[in-house]
Amino acid sequence: MNRNELQTMAEKAKEKHKQLKHKICVCCGASCISSGSEDVLKKLQDEIKTRGLENQIEVVPSGCMGPCNQGPLVKYMPENTIYQHINCENLDRVIQSQIVENKPLEDLLLFADSREKPFVNANEDPFFKKQQKIALKDCGDINPEEIEDYWAVGGYKALDKALFLMSPEEVIAEVKQSRIRGRGGAGYPTGLKWESVYKYVSDQKYVICNGDEGDPGAFMDRSVLEGNPHRILEGMAIAGYAIGASKGFAYIRGEYPLAIKRFELAIKQATKHGLLGKNILGSNFSFEVEVRIGAGAFVCGEETALIASIEGKRGTPKPRPPFPAESGLWGKPTLINNVETYAAIAPIIVNGGEWYSATGTPKSAGTKVFALAGKINYSGLIEVPMGTTLREIVFEIGGGIQGGGEFKAAQTGGPSGGCIPESHLDVSMDYESLVNLGSIMGSGGLIVMDKSSDMVDVARYFMEFCMDESCGKCVPCRVGTKMLHDLLQKIYDGKATQIDLDRLEELAVYVKEASLCGLGGSAPNPLLSTLRHFREEYESKILKEA
Amino acid sequence: MNKIPVIIDDKSFEVDPHKTILEVCRELDIEILTMCHLKGLTDIGACRLCLVEVEGINKLLSACTTKVAANMVIKTQTERIKKYQRITTELFFADRNHVCAVCVSNGKCELQNLGYKVELDRIRYPHLFPQCEVDTSHPWYVMDHNRCIMCTRCVRVCNEVEGAHNWDVMNRGHQVRIISDFNTPWGESSTCTSCGKCLHACPTGAIWPKAIVQGQLEKNPGMVNELVERRKMKL
Repeated sequence: MNRNELQTMAEKAKEKHKQLKHKICVCCGASCISSGSEDVLKKLQDEIKTRGLENQIEVVPSGCMGPCNQGPLVKYMPENTIYQHINCENLDRVIQSQIVENKPLEDLLLFADSREKPFVNANEDPFFKKQQKIALKDCGDINPEEIEDYWAVGGYKALDKALFLMSPEEVIAEVKQSRIRGRGGAGYPTGLKWESVYKYVSDQKYVICNGDEGDPGAFMDRSVLEGNPHRILEGMAIAGYAIGASKGFAYIRGEYPLAIKRFELAIKQATKHGLLGKNILGSNFSFEVEVRIGAGAFVCGEETALIASIEGKRGTPKPRPPFPAESGLWGKPTLINNVETYAAIAPIIVNGGEWYSATGTPKSAGTKVFALAGKINYSGLIEVPMGTTLREIVFEIGGGIQGGGEFKAAQTGGPSGGCIPESHLDVSMDYESLVNLGSIMGSGGLIVMDKSSDMVDVARYFMEFCMDESCGKCVPCRVGTKMLHDLLQKIYDGKATQIDLDRLEELAVYVKEASLCGLGGSAPNPLLSTLRHFREEYESKILKEA
Repeated sequence: MNKIPVIIDDKSFEVDPHKTILEVCRELDIEILTMCHLKGLTDIGACRLCLVEVEGINKLLSACTTKVAANMVIKTQTERIKKYQRITTELFFADRNHVCAVCVSNGKCELQNLGYKVELDRIRYPHLFPQCEVDTSHPWYVMDHNRCIMCTRCVRVCNEVEGAHNWDVMNRGHQVRIISDFNTPWGESSTCTSCGKCLHACPTGAIWPKAIVQGQLEKNPGMVNELVERRKMKL
């Protein structure tokens, strides 16, 4: 396909949607599927057909809509009415009321069981109102398995613009101007990373998409890959054009079979239509993408270990420098970004870097996707501007603590992050503020805990995770995390003394500073941050000298 | 070749820009402790004994894998580094079952020497006492996992110098083990050539020849680099 054909196809896809009165999306993200949404989808499609409404109403599977613990979710568009906990039984009532009688069915509306007055237009609900969707835009509104749906919402326009109206330097300049920082956790400025890979001269360069999301309680990347895979492909292709790479790898963890399936399907569709492969859209740029499936090692989310894994080697990290930008996959200059970073690239290219940087804080531009989990009323996937406070996320979007309980702490950044106590609920969610509190932004996992959580146990749990997931290459991480875990267990069991606590603190700082890679380097964070904010819980468990 | 200026422990030097901090320091007789490094093999920065502080970089860098750069200010002997060397040594000893008194390497062991070097008088962490195998299936050699410190020098010498790749690593975290082939007894390995290089590369009493009694083991780790250099000359 060439440029004009893309334009025609996009218009055709839009036209098709215009002729339909309504579109009904049935969430077919992993979470809703596991609570039975595929049966709902099938039944709804059959019902529409039986009633002869298929020319007016289109029923499609979509990606994640956000409020995951209310699933299965069904969205009626363009009214944007979301129904919750839909199964094959109560679906009949929805059809009767919403489709036949054209009036919303109050008792099954989103949050009908917890809000005094649920909203007919879900966008007016506080859960959505405070959100701003850039990476997740279209996720939950389109069928991720149809490339036409992606075209209809402007898909591959950014690639078209980059290839024909911009030089690689201009693409990089735009990304730099957006001030977007790596969404995988470390927050390195994406534009600078692209520029440094661009500057290395090599016969071959690579683009890698890191989809080895492994933090407990985190599912941002999975949802984007499942809900809008073409957006990631487009971002990768633009990156390839910018840095001069002709080959990309998407490393997706094996525990995400649906994401892998949809991403591979997207590659097939894009290749078939000439949006990947040789001479994309008739330009001189060629780019292909291959999927690599992770085999379950958390450490393979670390970029050098991920690269080793793609090469077919044991997934262990290497010391940096040299950074992958200089010597990455098979020793070639390699750009490696997180799924969510790639998801933001197409909007940045279409709307401009300045547009993107207008959202967020001066140092952390744009939006961030968080996976809300734990003792929170509305868990699920949200996207908010950087700088939104933790209080807004937990109490306004998340609807507060389950069962009217009291907030104790929020854990950000998974096993690499830390715990934020109640006294810091008004912290601005941006890279620097979280680091100042001894936590990190991380990839976006946000686990909310109430007063029933024991913070020593929380630290012990995350240390156990790191101990098990350490690759075993360097001494501080291999032996240090084991020692830290055993010390935490001893404290938790009430058998430790002050000497153990002192030793714990010294060893934690050692593991943090001496480890080879980011896994060991951040493994002590949950421990250190709980020690900082909840020291009294540690001290209360320490044996007093007789 | 143009030399570049660096400052190491407050002294100025002119050094070769293509070398690592470790290579430069060794040439200048500045002591840097190492365990996983063995001249002639690829450096992996795993033991973390060679960590140095470099001005302007907030992370500690492994000297064996970091190249020198012009005007680098390197510190090798700070209190922090000495403290970490000691902790690392303690963790080595606590990780497996190192009982020097009954070890073939007693008196000639790099780990034991490291203990003396950092003046290790006790180990503050509980010994993990893992259950480790002693593989005596090979006709000439023994692999005693109790003494292994996971430096992977055997893995690298077998792969990079002998080209056999008999040794590899399995499992994760503190449960990592060196394996022969796909975890078969060493004696049944189809890749091992019985060349014995791993024996010389091993810094402790983990790999040793049979018919050796306690304290009698003589190793020649320098032979690895001699071989590598000799082969370069032949090319």
